[in-house]
Amino acid sequence: MKIIDGTLVSPGKGGVYGERTLGEWRIWDPYRSKLAALVLKGVDVALDSSVNVLYLGAANGTTVSHVADYAGTVYAVEFAPRPMQDLIEVSRRRTNIVPIMADVNRMQVYEMLVEQVDLIYQDVAQPNQAAIAAHHLKFLKKGGIFILMLKTRSVNVREDPKAVCEASVQHLEAAGLVVETVQWLDPYHRDHAALVCRLPEE
Amino acid sequence: MRRYWFGDIEGGACSGAVRDTAALVERYLALTEEGGQAARALGPDVEEAVRCGCFADRDQYVAILREMTIALAEEEIRKCFGKGDVELAQMVRLLDELDEVINLLTEKSTEWYLVKNPAFSRKYRSCNAKKMVGIMKRDRTSLGRVAGEVDRLSATRSTLTKEISHRADILLPNCSALVGGLVAARILARAGGLSSLASFPSSTIQVLGAENALFTHLRAGSPSPKHGIIFQHRRVHNAPKQIRGRVARVLAGKLAIAARIDAYRGEADEAFLEKAQAAIDRAGETA
Repeated sequence: MKIIDGTLVSPGKGGVYGERTLGEWRIWDPYRSKLAALVLKGVDVALDSSVNVLYLGAANGTTVSHVADYAGTVYAVEFAPRPMQDLIEVSRRRTNIVPIMADVNRMQVYEMLVEQVDLIYQDVAQPNQAAIAAHHLKFLKKGGIFILMLKTRSVNVREDPKAVCEASVQHLEAAGLVVETVQWLDPYHRDHAALVCRLPEE
Repeated sequence: MRRYWFGDIEGGACSGAVRDTAALVERYLALTEEGGQAARALGPDVEEAVRCGCFADRDQYVAILREMTIALAEEEIRKCFGKGDVELAQMVRLLDELDEVINLLTEKSTEWYLVKNPAFSRKYRSCNAKKMVGIMKRDRTSLGRVAGEVDRLSATRSTLTKEISHRADILLPNCSALVGGLVAARILARAGGLSSLASFPSSTIQVLGAENALFTHLRAGSPSPKHGIIFQHRRVHNAPKQIRGRVARVLAGKLAIAARIDAYRGEADEAFLEKAQAAIDRAGETA
């Protein structure tokens, strides 16, 4: 991904949510987007037009629009009707986004729409985040990347974020993923950890 | 044979392919209805779908898939908002916000007026907020203009109140018959929607809107709240203090039933209403 003078950017037509632009590039704000925060913390994510993405918890399509600037096809799943209105508008103008209105806990309604992807990105505020991730592994190609943006406070507000994170890592490893990087997103996002995992080839 | 959203693939050949968005939506709904993994396959290998002739290339595959999922999502959104309960809840929230704004503006401009006219006092002239706005409107500086705006906002507020009440009568016929349209709408707004209101037990409906008091009670053991929003209904707030709790409890019980009739049947049930009204009135009688 491209960083100009310490500012993360993505190529594409601007004006999605009032973001500023640098010439042809759209500025990608790490305080609004956890993926941008992860990249600026030094963990580069390989995203190009050969990478197809399954994006769980797409919300208003802010981060989705940046991902779509880099990636091939983006399957964006969102459950709530209000943000979905925005997501549909974003995907009308970015023709590589496939918006899907569904609950990530009920994948039977959309599993037949999603192909095998190279990257799954999950950012949902649910207590069973690790379990949701484990269920979606069947969409991930062997050797593919899974990025789980762990909202520790959504799992359990009273538990120590570090402990929540450890438990989630264990859950993911038990499901067959190899957790390669655990990156806390301070100061951009508090109590959020990015777990970058890989599904082994064999 | 494997069944996909766009058609069936068997032995490298595609059959029963549909293209039209409406037909695709119908096929998708039928496939998910049938349930069970047997009826449908996991997301397809796009290359295979192209190879067997269903699509010219990957771009076309994605384009047609997008059209279908957008149509599905739009339909789903319409379903969520279509019943009108979400809109009613938003109208109630706007009404509450209007009250807040009107009060704030009146208060601040009154302060200004009092400083500007040192000889003026509100004492002994039964000068309520509304009259105060009337007096300030005569001022010819920005103060008068603001007072004019407040006046207009108040008029908008009463129109909105009537609209809310009218809509609640249609959407919540049974609840509105028990507590009036405005209170029924307020309860709905606090519950978040008709289906969640219908799933509440009556004890929750009784203290809806008194969350602070309830949680202080649970945490620190202060006296439990007897009523929340339903206090705004006349039979609760007009009841003598000793029996208010009883009236609120009975009313909440009947409201819980009424909400379920509203949600699942959607029409006024005269027989139920008659019995419910009598029970609530009986609870309000002092022994």
